[in-house]
Amino acid sequence: MKLEIRNLLPTYFEEERKSTSEIWGKERSFSNGDLINIVAPSGTGKTSLIHFLYKMRESYSGTVLYDNKPLGQFSREETAALRKDHVSIILQDMRLFGEQTILENLEIKRQLNPYHPQERIIEMARQLGVDHRLNALAKNCSYGEQQRSVIIRALLQPFDILLMDEPFSHLDNANSKKATELILEEAARRKALVIFAELEKADDFPATHLYHL
Amino acid sequence: MALSFKPIKPLLHTGTNASSRWFSYIGLGIGVLLLLCSVQMFINIQQLLKEGSIRKDGFDFVSITKNITNETMGQPEKNLFHADEIEAVKQQPFIAGVSPLLANDFRVQLSAGNVLPFSTDMFLEALDNDFIDTLPPNFAWKEGEQNIPIILSSDFFEIYNIFAPGQGLPQLSKETAMGIPVQISCYGSNNTITFSGRIVAFSDRVNSVLVPKNFLQWANKTFGNKERQDASRLFLKLKDINDPQLVRYLDAQHYVINRDKTLLGRNKIVLQGVFSGLGIFGLLVVILALMLFSFYLQLVIARSRQNLELLLTLGYSPGWLGKNVSNQFVPVYIFIVLAALLCTQIMQWAFHHFVMFNRPELSSFINWMVILLAAALVLMAIVTNVRLVKKLLYGLG
Repeated sequence: MKLEIRNLLPTYFEEERKSTSEIWGKERSFSNGDLINIVAPSGTGKTSLIHFLYKMRESYSGTVLYDNKPLGQFSREETAALRKDHVSIILQDMRLFGEQTILENLEIKRQLNPYHPQERIIEMARQLGVDHRLNALAKNCSYGEQQRSVIIRALLQPFDILLMDEPFSHLDNANSKKATELILEEAARRKALVIFAELEKADDFPATHLYHL
Repeated sequence: MALSFKPIKPLLHTGTNASSRWFSYIGLGIGVLLLLCSVQMFINIQQLLKEGSIRKDGFDFVSITKNITNETMGQPEKNLFHADEIEAVKQQPFIAGVSPLLANDFRVQLSAGNVLPFSTDMFLEALDNDFIDTLPPNFAWKEGEQNIPIILSSDFFEIYNIFAPGQGLPQLSKETAMGIPVQISCYGSNNTITFSGRIVAFSDRVNSVLVPKNFLQWANKTFGNKERQDASRLFLKLKDINDPQLVRYLDAQHYVINRDKTLLGRNKIVLQGVFSGLGIFGLLVVILALMLFSFYLQLVIARSRQNLELLLTLGYSPGWLGKNVSNQFVPVYIFIVLAALLCTQIMQWAFHHFVMFNRPELSSFINWMVILLAAALVLMAIVTNVRLVKKLLYGLG
């Protein structure tokens, strides 16, 4: 799947941003297998960009295209299908159902389009060190545990594109490394494009392209 | 693996504000019950009053006259039905047929000749044959014939048998009466002819002495010297004598009909009015309950907004979610309407059994139209629900 951005800029940003950014106001095209690292200090619109690409917000000028179709033209149902089958996301603010257990949270996602069997959930949880928390309510888990669960959730579906917004902000270096390895393994399995937005350049992430926002 | 709503269900905060939900359920139940009962009673009235009147071949027959008042007294032209008025009556959709009753325009005397010392001034009338209930094949006359067939009202015959003993006359059976030849003397201005008459049948329907129409037309011309077009009475063939439309029409035109014959019809107007009012009230309660329920649904969706938004973010289709969220309430709707239907059935059984003492015109079971209405109400509730939920979900991020 091909992802393109053309002359993109949040409506709340001034035009001058285009001259200093390698993403805003530029034309970029990404395709399967690309590992994109977007480096952006706070306040430069990292979360905005990820939200725009996932159609969570539409307060921008310019165009986002998936396989040459502008994202703005996707209907509600088409957007749902895109999220279910082609584009997965790891959000900075996690977003889990607090009253459900971690396992229930993961099953709610997995049943949409099961790419992996349930055993793989346990395997991935063990890999990231959260297998002992699978039956705990999400609201009772630490941010670090929640973040690792959200990473697993994003890897349970088939995808061509994986969007990540500061996915390791609550993890220590050792856990970040383990998570990066898992993400790269799953992305490679699907020959997927990964867009990884982070405050600084990620050392463990073998980016094919590096952009400053 | 089929997409299941089971893990999603706990994410909906349906338990909140239970009182609002129960109020809307109870309101819906009462409204549906009122509506179904009203429709059932409406149908009961139709059936009771339709079967309550004397009917022949599926039609009712009555005669109407104009209302003779102090103002119109002595002015026959005002008290007779003219051709245009007869035509207007014919045009009414609830009147299946009209036949003017032709009366004699000359003096007629009836006597039993030598058989009985009985003689009386009489009147004759004629009516189209298809309006006569007992029409024997020999009820016909050709110009030049001396024999006139007569159809006599059963009521008149009964009256004869009542006054006969007091007058020294014998009481007669119908069979004997039909065997006695009567003499019909017709008096013109300068001629008198006596015909030989014979009763060929008795009629329960027509209160008159009927002779073949062509005979009376000929006799009016011969003895009365004029061809009368207007009729003093109209004989009506009706689809339903209790039709409120008929009663209203006759009242509006100031035509007179035996009040007793339309009494049921008049009651029907009042009863139908009462039950229509109740039905409308029931419908209003149903609409109100559905509105209350929609507020409750909006509240559920508002309270579950965060969870629903997350589900959409994860890739759940808003169409699928909407369908499944609304489906949660379908069993409740079906249960409420079924409960109301059951109550209506019990009421109908009790009404038939205890109030109507199992009258055969009515059934102990509810009418199929009531069941159809109940199904329509369930459908209406589901459709409004689905549309509302879909609209609310599409409004989410």
